[in-house]
Amino acid sequence: MADSEALFTANQDRLFRYFCRAVGGAETARDLTQELFLRVSRTSIPVGADGDLRSWLFRIARNLALDHHRTRRRHAEPAALVDEPARSPSQDVNLAVNKALASLQPLDRDVFLMREVAGLGYDEIAGACELTPDAVRSRIHRTRLQLREQLAAPIATSRTTATSRSAQTYVRHE
Amino acid sequence: MSTTHEVISALLDDQPFDAEELTESLSDPAGRALLIDLATLRRIVQPVDAVPTMRAATPARQRPWRIVAAAAALVLALGGGYLAGERRAVTTSPEAPPPTRVVEAVPFVPTGGMR
Repeated sequence: MADSEALFTANQDRLFRYFCRAVGGAETARDLTQELFLRVSRTSIPVGADGDLRSWLFRIARNLALDHHRTRRRHAEPAALVDEPARSPSQDVNLAVNKALASLQPLDRDVFLMREVAGLGYDEIAGACELTPDAVRSRIHRTRLQLREQLAAPIATSRTTATSRSAQTYVRHE
Repeated sequence: MSTTHEVISALLDDQPFDAEELTESLSDPAGRALLIDLATLRRIVQPVDAVPTMRAATPARQRPWRIVAAAAALVLALGGGYLAGERRAVTTSPEAPPPTRVVEAVPFVPTGGMR
């Protein structure tokens, strides 16, 4: 049986990052990460390779995120993604990203986040979301295209910023 | 979107890809634009919040040695305390300490009064 604390230490960063984008807030992400490990420490950890255990963890994480969304809808809480006055450009991008992610199908969003934010491999995502690796591959690509369209403005802004920064660095090094 | 552009996702995800297909895709300006956009997308979706420091709540049943160690420490403390007390009781003198002041008893003699 694997040690739950070691499993937690090895994966808390990935899980927290996944939760941050899946629920759209760091505070809730912290609570859900803690809740996940309380659950894990109360159950028997299955025997398996690191990738299998990660799939198992993310399957639980996904269920927790889905439960969170269901509860929020049931209690009709105000949306987490509210407009706030006087935001910085990076906050604007953050908000736009959260809005775009919230508009996706839950499965597409989870597959995308597990890859882009949590850094899981296709096989691990397939295990966590009960899909085939080929289905994961095409779903990720499709979701990327959808987000590219929805986030065209922030992408263009970030691309310009990155380009001008590179140009400045190049000039400075000349 | 042509299927050739899916190879760009495979490249970004460190997955096996067909080199010829990738060459073809990157020779198309739309393919190059997609590569740049997807790399930028990856950057902007990263969460900005710091990762918290947490510890897992490890159940006691997974750490039986801790219970055994605690019980052993308790037995040692109780046994050690008992033995130390007993040794001290044996070595301590049973005699009373010497008096600091001696009061002599004098018989009472009335000096006058009623007849």
